This record gives sequence, structure tokens and C-alpha cells, in this order.
Amino acid sequence: MFSEQAAPTAQGLLAPPSAKAPTFPRVPVSGYLDCSQPFQLGERSFSWQYAHIYAVRLAGMRPGLERCARRRWGNDIALRKLSELQAGEKCCVVGTLFKAMQLQPSILQEISEEHNLVPQPPLPKYIQPSDKLILEDELQRIKLEGAIDVQRLVTGTILAVYGSEQDDGRFLVEDHCFADLPPPLPWNGPSSNRFVLLASGLGLGSVSGEALLSTQLLVDVVTGQLGAEGEQSCAAHITRVILAGNLLSQNTQSRDTINKAKYLTKKTQAASVEAVKMLDEILLQLCTSVPVDVMPGEFDPTNYTLPQQPLHRCMLPLASAYATLRLVTNPYQANLDGVRFLGTSGQNISDIFKYSSMDDYLEILEWTLLAGHISPTAPDTLGCYPFYKSDPFILTECPHVYFCGNAPHFQSKLLQGKEGQRVLLVTVPDFSATQTACLVNLHDLTCQPITFSGFGADSE
Amino acid sequence: VTYKWLSYTLGVHVNQAKQMLYDYVERKRKENSGAQLHVTYLVAGNLLQNGYVCHKVAVVREDKLEAMKSKLSTLASVHVYSIQKALLKDSSPLYNTDYDIVKSNLQHCSKFSAIHCAAAVLRTPPDAPRTPAPAPSTQRQRDPDAAGVVNGHGPPAAKPPPQQPRGIMGMFAAKAAAKSQDTPKETKAEAKEAPGMSAASSKAPTKNSIMNNFFGKAAMNKLKANSVPEQPKEEKEVVKPSVAVAEPESYPNTVAEKPGKKAESARIQQKDKKSKMKRADRSDDEEERDPENVKKKRKRIKQLQSDSSDEEDVPPSPTPEEERAPSPPPVPALKTELEPASTEGSSGERKRKRKRVLKSKMFIDEEEGCMGKTG
Repeated sequence: MFSEQAAPTAQGLLAPPSAKAPTFPRVPVSGYLDCSQPFQLGERSFSWQYAHIYAVRLAGMRPGLERCARRRWGNDIALRKLSELQAGEKCCVVGTLFKAMQLQPSILQEISEEHNLVPQPPLPKYIQPSDKLILEDELQRIKLEGAIDVQRLVTGTILAVYGSEQDDGRFLVEDHCFADLPPPLPWNGPSSNRFVLLASGLGLGSVSGEALLSTQLLVDVVTGQLGAEGEQSCAAHITRVILAGNLLSQNTQSRDTINKAKYLTKKTQAASVEAVKMLDEILLQLCTSVPVDVMPGEFDPTNYTLPQQPLHRCMLPLASAYATLRLVTNPYQANLDGVRFLGTSGQNISDIFKYSSMDDYLEILEWTLLAGHISPTAPDTLGCYPFYKSDPFILTECPHVYFCGNAPHFQSKLLQGKEGQRVLLVTVPDFSATQTACLVNLHDLTCQPITFSGFGADSE
Repeated sequence: VTYKWLSYTLGVHVNQAKQMLYDYVERKRKENSGAQLHVTYLVAGNLLQNGYVCHKVAVVREDKLEAMKSKLSTLASVHVYSIQKALLKDSSPLYNTDYDIVKSNLQHCSKFSAIHCAAAVLRTPPDAPRTPAPAPSTQRQRDPDAAGVVNGHGPPAAKPPPQQPRGIMGMFAAKAAAKSQDTPKETKAEAKEAPGMSAASSKAPTKNSIMNNFFGKAAMNKLKANSVPEQPKEEKEVVKPSVAVAEPESYPNTVAEKPGKKAESARIQQKDKKSKMKRADRSDDEEERDPENVKKKRKRIKQLQSDSSDEEDVPPSPTPEEERAPSPPPVPALKTELEPASTEGSSGERKRKRKRVLKSKMFIDEEEGCMGKTG
């Protein structure tokens, strides 16, 4: 995208100084609407049991699932609750999935004294062939077997299964279906090329400094300092930058100071303090030139449970002086120039990765969209606020751009739905590892990765 | 010498800086002067990678330039990134140069850029109860009305930014005469700081001079209060680290400094546990000479002191958090006021005078070897 437009004047700056250098005005923000109110928690009360989330989730998704089931298996199928099942009758049941996994870390096992178990070290994947699937609804649960991929599914998914109950009390599944893509949103995209830069995993505060030059190059490209005139004019079309989480690196999370003696740690300060200062400076440079949305991630100083609340603005005193800085929640939903963005910092996808046989982040992203729920594994294996009135993670409208941050590498795909939905799925790679960010073109819903590199001692 | 450094130092558009570098290289090479120049270029273009057409932006050494250009399927831009005499092993010197120059120019880091964003304006403050009439303020000003906070009735402002008070002192020294309620001690301090600060101040002109003055004064007062009763050697040390800090890092008066500084002052007034903290701060400063950490240490120790018990395991985080929570409303808020600020400033200074007297007593006591809190 950039390159074709920029190519003609590529070598323009290899010349003696010209009289006046052009400056390009940034394309103005035409339509921005923050739609992430469901993810903003006001007063938080933790006195509710987590069972309520499942109840509201099921209640919220049941109508959609029943519609899908009817569409798929015919209008005349019998929709039954588990309590109404009769042996041998073919029917369809809607319920929550529960996967009983042997390797799933359980706090109860850890503290159990009889077993004398050492706490389980974190594994990349917790799946095992012996995992079992159980379907639950409001009152009962039943074991599932049959044409259903046990390894692939995760706890917390709401689905509809079609089959019959066996004599031994198990449900033999012949087919199953998910909620499918939510209804589409009208498309009001911009008429000319507008870009949004998605980056995640800046990883400031890490011990290694290789990514720092790349981060600086990223800032320079976006603020228009880098590149020849053609590239700078293209960069002026970047209307927004979204930083999807993990602005600080994992190294800032060290909690050694808690274990050390007080006199040793008196003069030290948390590594995150230094990192937040660096972040503030980088954000200041960006904010003077482009609107920025900052989403918190796994290692950022905000709450652990989903939905993560925005970073507090006092942590970024320099940058929050500018109106172009927006501190937003994770997950984040907004209308940018008529295009609906929805995305997370990647904790939901990586959690599903751990508990499912799906290996590809893009595949998991697509699956969550089809399952109609951003993060089905919350609250089972992913921390979540105990919602009891409604589950904000249910997808009610189909976004135009659906992204997740901190993926191992960049992937993108345009998904077409049956009802005319067009979704661009983007897995935003971790910048500190790959030095790659994504440029999404709002006009035609395409995405291009943009890589930065300096030269090291081992240049190729 | 990177293009960005040149652009900030000469005050030219970045594109012109790049062209200047190129011109220089060409001329020097034509002259065959013998001094070897090593040039790095920035190359950008499309590259096929992992099945995606990826836009690559890379800084390459001159010898790798052609190789990189051939790898790219379409070339988007190429220009000189930097020139240096020695061959660079890796790109960290480039990064460091850019980092330093940007850090010293943070307030107008997009001034020489090729893109101007109309939306990047400072936030307008919501109505502040303590400031009667809004005075005209320059666009870059932000929340100088945290002056009100200094009077002790406001909650302390946000977590102190990494600026050094000395940087502000530098600004203050430059604009010494402007502020009306200058007290003699301030001018004295100013004179002391002036030789060290002049270099710093010249580097960073600011628009919010008056607010800076007030702010600088507040900072000056605090530091002065410390330095005056101290022995001369300590004073010198105070000045020296400030000089050392201000010159490499001379921050212009970022507005964020002000609330941070005021937070400190406010906290000082509020907590009323001055000298021991100050003493500890001073010694910390002198020990560490680490500008970045001084503020943090000051804050931490302050919080440690604020607990009457001498427990050191009071984590700094709860206190700043609760302080932060009330502060964001006033902090990002307000526009400058000249008159109310000055009156508030003077009252603040009066308080600080009082504080200073106390401190001197405390210092004497401590110098006698008594570690207990007095006064």
C-alpha cells in the first residue's frame, strides 16, 4: 500500500537541500465512537458466584443457537432441555460445554495434603487424549460422545448438539453447531485510503534493547519523520494507532523483591516504573501526531481479570496531556470511520490455545467468532470479573475488523459470512519479538504487515 | 549524527536535514579529503515474506544498501539516516543519539516532522473550583493550576514524572526576573544555579514562562530550603548534580513536571515530615546521582515516613494510588492563571519559608548526631 504510492519519489531525498520541505496534514479523524462501554466496569463487587456468568451466557445465546439449529437440521426438530430427554429420541440440546481435563491445573489439587503434590509447572498445552466432554444446561449435565471433536473444543462454549440419548446415560452426538457469525453491521467505510496501525507487545522494560530501535523507527514512520516524501504522505493517512497490550515486557513482572530481605530492596524500584516512563515518552511522541488508543495487556499495570480496565492516566503524565491519547479497556470495541473494530490483547486466544488442539492463532480467532463468544474459557481458566446480569463477551454484532494482539506471527484473513458479513481477522504479532506491526486499510479491509529492523553485529 | 539530531539541533524540517546530510556526504566524497565517512541509509519497500507482502523499513549500512534494495520488490523510500566517522557495530549509538535529542525536546517532538496533526491539542481543563477567571494561556500549557494544589488543600498531583527539579530550576534561572513575588532567597538560589543552568536553559526555550517561574520557584524553595541550612559542601553537591543532570537531559518545562513537582511540594506540606525525608533525600541524591531515581526515592521515602511506624515494608504503591486517584481531575484539567497563581504561589512560598526554618532546626539537630525527629 505504502510502497506503490511512495515509489515515484523514493529517491527524492538523495539530493541537496531543497528550499522548502512539504509538510502533510494528518488525515483528520472523521468518525470515532468508542463502543467499549460493556467492558468498562464501574463499581466492582466480587460477592457474586461465577456460576451466574454461565447462566447468563446460556440464556443470552440460547435463542441464537436455537435459530441456528433449526436452520441446520430442519424446522421441525425437537429442542429439548436435558431434563426432558428421553432415551433414543433424536433431538437437539443447547448447553454449555465442559471439558474434564486431567492436566488442567487445579488449585484444589495443589493444596490437597493427601496427595502431597508439587504444583504443576505450566505446560504449553494441557490437552490429553483422555479428556471428556460434558454438556450442561441450567439443571443437569450429560456426557457427550460421538461425532464431536473433544480435543478441539474448550470449556465454556455454548453449542447445540443433535443426537440422542443412549441407554447408559450418555448422549450420542451426530452433529453440532455453534452460534455462527453474528448479524452484520452496515458498512460505512471511508471512501479513500485510510490506515490504522495495529501494534502489540512493545515489551518496554525488557533487558534486551534490540527492539528499541525498531520501536523508534515505528514511531518515526507514524509521525512522519522517516521516509521520503511519498512515504511521509502515505503515513499522513494513518488515522489511528492501536496498541494492543503488553506495552511492558514480562521482565517487569519480577516479584523477587517480595522474597528478598528488606534492607536489600530498600533502594530498588520496580522495573515497571522505568518501563512506564519510557512508554510515556514514546506515547508522547506518538500523541503529538496521531490519535492513539492504548489497550492494557497481560503484563501491564492494570487488573488481571478480564475485562481489563484502562491504564490509569496518571501513569502517563506527559502523554495524557494530549487529547489524542485514549486509554481503553481490553477487549476494545470502537467505530473508526464507520468501521467496527473489536479486539483483545491476546489473553483469550492464548488461553484457548493452551486448552485446545488448535494451534493456529488465526484459526482460534476465527473459531471464537463462529462460536459467538470472545472468550469462552473465562472464567474457567482465564480470570474474569463475576458478571451476573449479562455477559459482555457475547458477540452480538459482527465487527468489521477482529484482531488479537501478541500473537507469535502475523496472519490475516478476510472472512465472508452467509448474511453478507465481511470480517478481517488479524493476528497482531508481538513487536518485541518480530518487530512487525500491522497496517489495516479501512477502505478495502486489507492488511499489510510492516517490519522494522536496524543492523546488528550479525547483519545478514 | 542522525537526521533527527540534525533536524532538532538546526531547527529544520526533517526532510531538509536528510537532504543536508546527503549533500554533505556527496561534497566530502568529491573532495576526497581522506576522512572516511560511514553512512547509514534508511530503506523502505515491499518485500515478500512468509507469503505476505510485507512493508519493510530498515536501517542499513552503506555496504548493505544495494543488497537490501535488490531484495525489495518495490522501493518506497531511501534516504540518509546518519553519518559517522567510525564504523558502527550495531545500531545502538544511533538509537541513543535519537533518544537523547528527543528526550530533550519532548514538548515539540513533532515540530519538524513532515506530518502535522490538527487534533493533537492539549486537553482543555474542566472547570476548576479554585481558579476564578481563566487567564490566557499558550496552547502548550497544561495544568499549571496545580499551583492550587501546592497550597496544600488539593490532593497531590500525579505520580512525579521523571523530570528532575533541576531541569525546572534551569528554566527558572533563565526566566528569573519575570515573576512578581520573587523573594530574596529565590534570587539567591537563582544566582547560585544560574551559571550551571544557563547552558540548560538556553537549550530549551519554553512558552509557559510565568508558570515555569512559579513552578521553578516552588521547586527552588524546596531545594533552597534544604540547601541553605546545609553545609557549603552539601550545597555544592546539590548544585553539581543539578548541573550534571540538567545539561545532558535539559528538559524544557514540560507541563507534566509542574504537577509532579507540585505533588512533591504538596506532599511535603501535607505530610509535615520534612527534614528527615529531606535529609534522606539529599543523601540519596548525593549518593546515587541518578536523576531518574531521585524523584522516586523521594517519593518512596516520603511514603515510608508518612507511616508513623518506621516500617519499611510500606509499599509505595498504595499511597501514590490513593493520591493519584483524586488528582487526575484537577491535574489534567486546568488552564493557567497568572494572578491567582501568583497569589497562591506566594502563599505557597510563605509556607515553604516556614518549612525552611523548621528544616534548619532539624538539620542542626541531626548534625549533632541525634537521629530523632524534632520540631
